[in-house]
Amino acid sequence: MPPQRRDAETLAAARERDLAEAIAERHVLVCTGSGGVGKTTTAASIALAAAAQGRRTLVLTIDPARRLAQSLGLSSLDNTPRQVAGVEHLDAMMLDMKRTFDEVIERHAESADRARTITSNRFYQQMSSSLAGTQEYMAMEKLYDLHSQGRYDCLVIDTPPTRNALDFLDAPKRLTDFLEGRFLKMFLTPGVAAGRVASKAVGVGTGMFMRAASRITGSGVMADLAGFFQSLDGMYEGFKARAQAVYRLLQSPESGFIVVTTPEEHALREARYFLQRLAQDGMPTAGLVVNRTTVPDLPHASADALAAAGAALDGAPGRRAVGALLGLAAADLDVAHREERALAAALHDLDPRVLVEVPQRAEDVHDVEGLAWVGRRLLGEAVR
Amino acid sequence: METRELLDPRVLFVTGKGGVGKSTVAAALALAAVRTGRRTCLVEVEGRQTMARVFGTEPWDFDEREIRPDLFGMSVDPEASLSEYLDMFYGARRISKLVVGSTAVEFATTAAPGIKDVLLIGKVKELERRREPDGRFAYDLIVVDAPPTGRIVNFLRAPDATTELVNVGPIRGQAQSLVDMLLDGARTHLQLVTLLEEMPVEETVDSAEALRELGVTVGPIIVNRALEPGLDEEARAALVDGLDNGEVVAAAGEAGVDLTEEDAERLLARGERHLHRLDLEERMRERLRGAHTPVAELPFLASREFREPQVSALADRLVELTA
Repeated sequence: MPPQRRDAETLAAARERDLAEAIAERHVLVCTGSGGVGKTTTAASIALAAAAQGRRTLVLTIDPARRLAQSLGLSSLDNTPRQVAGVEHLDAMMLDMKRTFDEVIERHAESADRARTITSNRFYQQMSSSLAGTQEYMAMEKLYDLHSQGRYDCLVIDTPPTRNALDFLDAPKRLTDFLEGRFLKMFLTPGVAAGRVASKAVGVGTGMFMRAASRITGSGVMADLAGFFQSLDGMYEGFKARAQAVYRLLQSPESGFIVVTTPEEHALREARYFLQRLAQDGMPTAGLVVNRTTVPDLPHASADALAAAGAALDGAPGRRAVGALLGLAAADLDVAHREERALAAALHDLDPRVLVEVPQRAEDVHDVEGLAWVGRRLLGEAVR
Repeated sequence: METRELLDPRVLFVTGKGGVGKSTVAAALALAAVRTGRRTCLVEVEGRQTMARVFGTEPWDFDEREIRPDLFGMSVDPEASLSEYLDMFYGARRISKLVVGSTAVEFATTAAPGIKDVLLIGKVKELERRREPDGRFAYDLIVVDAPPTGRIVNFLRAPDATTELVNVGPIRGQAQSLVDMLLDGARTHLQLVTLLEEMPVEETVDSAEALRELGVTVGPIIVNRALEPGLDEEARAALVDGLDNGEVVAAAGEAGVDLTEEDAERLLARGERHLHRLDLEERMRERLRGAHTPVAELPFLASREFREPQVSALADRLVELTA
């Protein structure tokens, strides 16, 4: 079969399917995609649909829009699941990075004193709120925590708004690499930070690196940093074990990744990378959701003919209004064609299994009713 | 601040929420600058090679290259900046070779994330200050496709937080000189890009306020993808009052388009959504006025991919706005 036809058939088959199985069966659903594509809305819609089937559901969001947060009752940022008012079986929570990090330290430090030493360290304070990757890692810790509590049938995770959607997938490995890496070992070697280096023990170059780094950062900084890493000693195995456990959970068939995008080229490109990565890592892909698509009202007409007819209508205001409607229909056809081409290009040689398109609405989704509207499309209950 | 001052500073940090078309606008601003006689450098930060795709060039790197007459492009990454920085201050290639490996950059980004921004903005400052042998500035304008607004705000709010970790040495002095550049309205504008949608508008208004409180000069807010009404007032009123399916079928028929009743109904529903959207955009404009900054609008382009022709069309519009 020529590749183009194979692509077209894969696309058509994926369009025929929906997320009903994932919403009814899977234990963890992770929504991912580049910034501004409607991940949070999609996650909330999925959670609402799962709860409507009687599954005890939690949606974990990272940075919801104000009105959406309000409609989920998330106006207080307190890092604990709250029941969504008026919706049975549905809890929602907003991830507070620093709070989660504090909880992890408190829970796993060998003593309360040790926990206090760690959390009052200046590096800890900087890291826990602004370290690149901390958000992804904390989302994972929270997921591990919620999963082990066993209170929920369905956990829907909205991933952090990172520059790169892959960051979430890479977070466990990055952490493990860091914990096993030369950099950390260097700091955990007694005397290194103070400049008293036993070169044989840590390798040539380490002392030189430390001296150079000290010259740049000022004296004392490296020693403090070493103190910080040393105070965490004893917890590294736990960090690693949980990161690996979450990775395995995400890899298991009870989980599913939902890649979210808009029909725009840059978002679709990210979606393609992500679908490829999921396949490579053997992660379960539940499907692709394309938000804000354009649905032409006169799909069989020619855009040029419509545009010309629209422009030709003059005279009474009513006629000019009809002209404008034809103009809109023409523009929509153009946009829809371009979207279709961009989507086909992004999915070349890829099979997302499920493809759900959610049409552009006149207004952003910001209430439970709007979420239910999106949910019906995800479940395949409504076409337009 | 007026719209025609859009391209007047030495550095434009173009920023905005994900999905608003920040990179497209940055590229259009750079082209507009070139067209108004400015020697321009377009800087991509944490490059995803968006610009190389837009302009159809080889991937960009740390070396500035003239990609079009008077338009230079480069991609800044912290690693290359760190290397250059170490060479500059220590003249020690050996150290820089040793330090610029994955572990050292990991240090810069892990232990003290602010350092990364010091390095990125530091490179921009170097471009801004650079002079030709005859004393003129090497570039009239530097357009930076910048990190998200929140990070810039954090950096400005807490150069001390950056320098608190790094309490002495050249980085501290460097951080202060960067803050000076960012706070000098003659040198730097923060250029916010938004769509006429609720979330980006809220964030833009908040950012503009936060930035101004910090003493930053906020350039005219650029609205991307503003809808064309496509309707005059009377026609709009006719649509609002309500046409019936028969009228739509009849008028379209006269123009040679055969519609069914159902087609007409769908078109009228589409018209209603369009009016709704226009109203929403109007409300968002009103909200943006609360930011006390002029607003420059770029039109919605039916295209879903942004290459040089589309960017060029937006640049034309920007040139008109600054005339």
